[in-house]
Amino acid sequence: MSASFTSLIYTYIGFPLLAIVVLNLIGKKHMEKFCAPIGCAVGVVQAVTSVITMLLLLQYNKAAVNFSQFWDMSVSTEAAYFSVDAISAIVLFCIGMVTAASFLTAAGMREEKMFNYTNVMLILVLGMSGIALVTDLFSLYVFLEITGIASFVLIALHRDIIGLEGSFKYLVMSAVASAFILAGLSFIYMETGSLRYDAVAEMLAGNTAAEPMLIWLAFLFLIAGFSIKSGIVPFHGWLPDAYQSAPAPVSVVLGGIVTKMAGVYAIIRIMSDFLLGTYSVINLAFMLLGLLSIVMGALAAIAQGDFKRILAYSSISQIGYIVLGASTGSMIGLIGAVLHFFNHATFKTTLFVNSAAVERQTGTTEIERLGGLQKQMPVTGVSSVLAFLSTAGIPPLAGFWSKLLIIIAAWQAGGPLIAGIALVASILTAAYFLRLQRKVFFGPVEEHLSTVKEARGGIAVSAVALSAVTVVVGLLFPVLLQILQAQGLL
Amino acid sequence: MNETILLICLAFIVIAAIACAMFRSMLKCAVSLAVVSALLACVLYLMGATWAALFELSVCAGLVTVVFASAISLTSTSRHQPENEEEHRKRVAGLPFILIATGMMLMVVIAATGFHIEPQANAALVGLSFKDVLWNMRQADVLGQIIVILAGAFAVAILFKESDKA
Repeated sequence: MSASFTSLIYTYIGFPLLAIVVLNLIGKKHMEKFCAPIGCAVGVVQAVTSVITMLLLLQYNKAAVNFSQFWDMSVSTEAAYFSVDAISAIVLFCIGMVTAASFLTAAGMREEKMFNYTNVMLILVLGMSGIALVTDLFSLYVFLEITGIASFVLIALHRDIIGLEGSFKYLVMSAVASAFILAGLSFIYMETGSLRYDAVAEMLAGNTAAEPMLIWLAFLFLIAGFSIKSGIVPFHGWLPDAYQSAPAPVSVVLGGIVTKMAGVYAIIRIMSDFLLGTYSVINLAFMLLGLLSIVMGALAAIAQGDFKRILAYSSISQIGYIVLGASTGSMIGLIGAVLHFFNHATFKTTLFVNSAAVERQTGTTEIERLGGLQKQMPVTGVSSVLAFLSTAGIPPLAGFWSKLLIIIAAWQAGGPLIAGIALVASILTAAYFLRLQRKVFFGPVEEHLSTVKEARGGIAVSAVALSAVTVVVGLLFPVLLQILQAQGLL
Repeated sequence: MNETILLICLAFIVIAAIACAMFRSMLKCAVSLAVVSALLACVLYLMGATWAALFELSVCAGLVTVVFASAISLTSTSRHQPENEEEHRKRVAGLPFILIATGMMLMVVIAATGFHIEPQANAALVGLSFKDVLWNMRQADVLGQIIVILAGAFAVAILFKESDKA
């Protein structure tokens, strides 16, 4: 059993690393045309591996599997190691899925710097996979930095002014967030003498901190640091510029997964491993930040005039839902948050792929210059409708179920007012997406767009595949809820 | 033996720190700063603070340097510009004062402590070698460091190369 687990689990780190080595050993001249298939294969293998890992965890009825093949884990109880549980497996699936979609989009967009893009994307995949697999707060910080560095390079890949500006804003905000996170970690280390998740959880559960003030201070810094990395309101200033200025395939991966892995995943980990079953000031702080993001993100999205900026503000709003679910401190809220993480990765990636298709075929993402594209681009139009219906939480699509769980958990933890605000914000979501849909796809075709055709190849394939995931997961959700109920989790 | 190594490390820290202050190229400054951090990590290790040494090595010598290099590569100030003679003279004029101030500070420290350093053992690390701590206990960070170096190499190669062409 353990052998099958370890060989599977090493695929997460080993396969991207192997791809980087092979690409650079053979060289750009010979490998440039194979970059997209290799990158896509890395994503698909990662997604398949995470599904198999999840099935094995269910089959052997294990909550998590720890692994360390090259090193001796038994040397000390303080040794850090990798681990995969249900939450890690789900986010690893998201990483694989979005990576494959990004490479397909890059191939469809005929990315000029494919070799460089592939190398840095593979580093980004390694960084994000590391975040999902580590069991120690300091190791988490190391992999957060890897993700950040790869993201700066990807945003500035074409070295145009707008890309450099977006990258620089992200770099500065990320450095500030890292300083907060490091300060928080050092305070936790002063209290516990360890940064391992289980040691910190034990200290918090037993309330054994010698200086409780230090722990409060630590969480204050961590909340600030992870909120900046997540782009939660009021720390969201960098996010729309970074999303808008990045090349289209990079926007797909930034909006689809990077921001969530760099900040939201850490918040989910803090809530699931340290604060599950509790409702403290920390939960309340995250709950208020979540609500603020939901409302402000949705309101700001209504006022935007660029396809990618609308999606960026929509991401801020949807990330608010994930944070709200995780902050409730209940199992139902946590499940809702993790499932909304998955759903957001699916529908937001679809929408960024759609924006890439529109940009490629029309040369613009300004919605005032677009109109009536549904007839010319039916695949993009239909997949966009499905993704926005899922974002707005319309049944039976996947987004409805995760939002339902989050709103129920918010009602139970914070009362009807908080749940009501979250529910009303869904109407705002529908409002800004209806405006987007009407301006870009519905109505008569603009004269200068009459010759536009559907984007073919990788872009269309990823839009169709991601839409299928949204629909199938939505239809199968009642079955998943039954499984969770049978496990005693709901 | 340890005290000799410690003294050598401290001397090189001073040299690298001065070099960091004197270089005009921001990239060379970042590299000098990384050398300071790496040597400081050695000092911390020799003084028994193994964890602090590892964190210093990981964060300051590794991550921060890569972040600096990325930031430098995103700005145009990293390009070399010819320095006129007056600017050069002004910059070098400060060097003797820095050296005298550093020497005086070292003398005060040595006089106050007698340079008797007692390593402080961490209970969790008793009996473990540097190899055990670095390789067996912080394996995730070691892998992270390898990837960070790769990321830094790609960042510099991609952005600097393009910058030179521009």
